[in-house]
Amino acid sequence: MNAIIIYCLRDLVRWIRGKWGFISSLIAPAAWLIFVGMALPIKFTDNYLAFITPGILVMTILSASMQGGALLIMDKILGFYNKFMALPPPRESILFGKILVITIRGIIQSSIILGLAFLLGVPVYSPVQIIAVYLILILFGGLLSSVTTTIAVLIGEHDSYAAVTAMITMPLFFASSAMMPYSSMPGWLVIPASLNPLSIAIDSIRAVSEGMFPGSRLFILVIITVVMISVNVKLFRNVKL
Amino acid sequence: MTSVLLTKNLTRYYGELCAVRDMHIDVGNEIFGLLGPNGSGKTTTVLMLTTLLTPTSGTASVCGLDTVKYPRKVREKISYVPQDMAVDIRLTGRENVRLYAELYGISRPKDRTDEVIGILDLEDRADDFVKAYSGGMRRRLELAQALVHDPEVLFLDEPTVGLDVSARKKIWEYIRTLKKRGMSIFVTTHYMDEADRNCDRVAFMDRGSVKTCDTPAALKKLIDGDIIVASVEGTLPPVRLDGVKVISQNEEEITFLVKDRKNAGDYIGQEIQSLGATLNSISIRKPTLDDVFLHLVGDIEDTSPINMTSYRNMLGRRR
Repeated sequence: MNAIIIYCLRDLVRWIRGKWGFISSLIAPAAWLIFVGMALPIKFTDNYLAFITPGILVMTILSASMQGGALLIMDKILGFYNKFMALPPPRESILFGKILVITIRGIIQSSIILGLAFLLGVPVYSPVQIIAVYLILILFGGLLSSVTTTIAVLIGEHDSYAAVTAMITMPLFFASSAMMPYSSMPGWLVIPASLNPLSIAIDSIRAVSEGMFPGSRLFILVIITVVMISVNVKLFRNVKL
Repeated sequence: MTSVLLTKNLTRYYGELCAVRDMHIDVGNEIFGLLGPNGSGKTTTVLMLTTLLTPTSGTASVCGLDTVKYPRKVREKISYVPQDMAVDIRLTGRENVRLYAELYGISRPKDRTDEVIGILDLEDRADDFVKAYSGGMRRRLELAQALVHDPEVLFLDEPTVGLDVSARKKIWEYIRTLKKRGMSIFVTTHYMDEADRNCDRVAFMDRGSVKTCDTPAALKKLIDGDIIVASVEGTLPPVRLDGVKVISQNEEEITFLVKDRKNAGDYIGQEIQSLGATLNSISIRKPTLDDVFLHLVGDIEDTSPINMTSYRNMLGRRR
């Protein structure tokens, strides 16, 4: 078996057995879906839940990635790194294992959220739409998990990492097209929101749900992801023990 | 004796701080102990030998393979158990070992896992979560993990630190069993008595340099005579006695070296009392590796004022 898969399975088993990490990471997006999606008095659409669902899916990936970066730091603090680095598989497989497991975690969680959204009254997507949504989420998961593991490598310490992720999560989410369309945003927000990678993923899913193919957005997403992962690998190779 | 581990002028700096200086060691198929106080450069040495740290200068080779040129090949031949125990508490013992069997890419990982769990006598608890393991069992589990690919050299960094007496004894028994199976073992420790009992050869390390390297028996012969330890109460000036060497003296204890143990205890006892101090007890023993270390290196405690910049460097790099 490939070392990346082995590292990934290790974290996956630990996560599922941990239970609480699994449950808690589902509560926040579910609460958003129910309390914001179904309770906010919105004028621009008659199904706000359907509008906000892509935003919540992306938010789920975001929080899964933020939690995931901490895995890398914990392995370092607890001394697993030293042991893994002395094994024959290349160093990078540790990193790719983390990116893979964080993405898988995000996908499992967003699947549950998507199912919940359909139950709550979002018009069910066609199979093709669902596949497209998954592709976008996987791509975005790869991007975000390489961002958070990069932050983890750079910071290398648990408390500071938690502080940094707490600091960027909220502004990143609100300065995106998750909550409202660009046409309803105040003028000053439109430009930052449209440059936000979160918006690119959200707009892509929204386009898919409306039956369109978001080619150019996906292309941008692929480019950013590739760049981010290469930066990540470079940093990881030089990391100090 | 063919060299399993060989270092030439091995040196490592952390900024200004020299952690390992000009190290020459030649280790064969044996249990080799690297001894020294905390912070003497033992772990840095192990990190270089296990390819985790690049030397600043000099070379190290494992089974004839240069650690800088062929890190991956070296890693296939060795196992490294660091000082900090790291086992997954949410996995069972068997799963923990299986993980390493898979990562080493050995054939029949399941059978090999069962086999090494057997060698370390962990069968009974193999399917329990590691959360419920004691410190000694966790260490044994780490040894099992290190054995899965049948390495030629096993590196153990302070394998018995933090364990109780019986667990320590057991760990050393396993280490000796592994040696009998043909493995070469490189172990660092600051417990001199354990090294004395278990290592074929030891090297003393202090402030980055190897002071001496030989069998424990040969090293103990460096001290000609017996050791007398007097436990005292009351203030004493620096003690000087004819025909007796004072090895160390503090408020509670004075350690002497005598050539002839006959009557030496009585003589020392009387002299101490005549200096006005109360003698609590006096004991005579053969020299130990601790005494040899003190003899060769001087006081273990560094009494020179701490250079704060290098001290901070040390802390910063050790995280």
